[in-house]
Amino acid sequence: MSDGNHPGGTIGEALLARGISRRSLLKYTGYLASILALPPMASRAMADALAKAPRQSVIWLSFQECTGCTESLTRSFNPTLEDMIFDLISLDYHETLMAVSGAAAEEAMQAARAANKGKYVLVVDGSVSTAEGGIYSTNAGKTNLATLKDMASDAAAVLSVGTCAAFGGIPHAKPNPTGAVPVSEIVTDKPVINIPGCPPIPEAIAGTVAYIITFGKLPDLDHLSRPKAFFGDSIHDRCYRRPFYDKGLFAKSFDDEGARNGWCLYEVGCKGPVTYNACATLKWNGGVSFPIQSGHGCLGCSEPDFWDRGGFYKPLSASVMGNPAIIGGAAVAGIVAGAASVALARKRRAEALAAQSKASAAAQEKMP
Amino acid sequence: MSEESPRTGMAQSLLREIARALAALAETGACDAIDLRSLPLTGGDRADLETALGRGEVAATFDASGQSEVWETRHAGVWWVRHLGGDGRVAAETIEITPIPDILAAHPDDIRASAAALMAELAETTEETAHV
Ligand code: SF4
Repeated sequence: MSDGNHPGGTIGEALLARGISRRSLLKYTGYLASILALPPMASRAMADALAKAPRQSVIWLSFQECTGCTESLTRSFNPTLEDMIFDLISLDYHETLMAVSGAAAEEAMQAARAANKGKYVLVVDGSVSTAEGGIYSTNAGKTNLATLKDMASDAAAVLSVGTCAAFGGIPHAKPNPTGAVPVSEIVTDKPVINIPGCPPIPEAIAGTVAYIITFGKLPDLDHLSRPKAFFGDSIHDRCYRRPFYDKGLFAKSFDDEGARNGWCLYEVGCKGPVTYNACATLKWNGGVSFPIQSGHGCLGCSEPDFWDRGGFYKPLSASVMGNPAIIGGAAVAGIVAGAASVALARKRRAEALAAQSKASAAAQEKMP
Repeated sequence: MSEESPRTGMAQSLLREIARALAALAETGACDAIDLRSLPLTGGDRADLETALGRGEVAATFDASGQSEVWETRHAGVWWVRHLGGDGRVAAETIEITPIPDILAAHPDDIRASAAALMAELAETTEETAHV
């Protein structure tokens, strides 16, 4: 069933065919508006726009990765409202999920590419090996490097899903034997949106894709090309343990009185003050909890080079995410040292502002 | 909604915002909505807000990709809309200041489609009767 303009059919038609009511769609757009921090009144217009929009063709490539990013998006507890993202997109190719393999899989990818030339969103999880011409990671006899260049050339935009694709991630950690680089180092002539996290929050992946389909443009991005709706605030900005931080009440070890009282985890290594992500608000495992709520400090997994930035259990003031010289030497003096690193993050953020709006404007321009 | 849950004063500010929006609805017919999920409300704040707004005479529940609950508060034109997602947790929750929330009203496209479907059904029945 199709209106002729959209050979794959509109989202409204696809929903109707599956017996999904318009109220479900309106409910979903209400949920999207909320996670995207859009005015709630936008949900009606979003539902109307989505009903008439074609399903977005998505081609998903997996490079040097652990499949956690795919798990994050696809693992749901039961069919729910949140799964409606799969009604909005047509996942035309996904190396890990598709049933066919070998030559048939290659054909499927090329067919999807030809049918949606210039219109598909290319999702990449995993970093790209470049050492020795990229031979450390290959698929179907082709290096990931060659596949990425080839498939990006016909894409409308590229979504780097997960810290590996966005910033190189763990394959990029020292000594980086495979010469791993982020997708944005290879694809420079197309808009590249980064949705980092190890893995990324499923709502951030789904919400970003839904935004592109609904509004036909890229969302506002920060200086690291991350959607501001999900990466605009630090974990620390939204942390429920923040009142303890502000009062200077810190756990000094994982089994002391402070830990039992739920005090701030800054001194046991929390990287929340310099980590931008939505874990503190959207949470994990169906909104159940997030690391800090489970008693462990934030590792900073959505920031570049988080693996190499000092010890996970060292306070920020001792490591400052890889730059001990900045606050180095200052003994952890609770709130004072904490304030210094927050000021640092803010400064970094302020300095990035100019670059930020420039990157966002440039990305928008590139979007066809 | 525990009684011990701290209060931040957010419920009072929200009530003022709702009052302003309701006055605007009365005067100009402009609808508005407040996204509760995006606000750092404590359990205590939420309980205060629910108590202050109370319940009016209309309430509806429906299942569309998960349960939803909509009720008019004791203030005409102020509705509480709660959508549950997977595992029964709140996926979206808004206070809507409107004569009737969008989610309850039938959509014009759906009305057109069902008008055509009902006509077709009746035409079929008439044809069948004619053949008897
Ligand atoms: S340092 Fe970590 S635990 Fe403490 S308030 Fe900030 S984000 Fe929360």
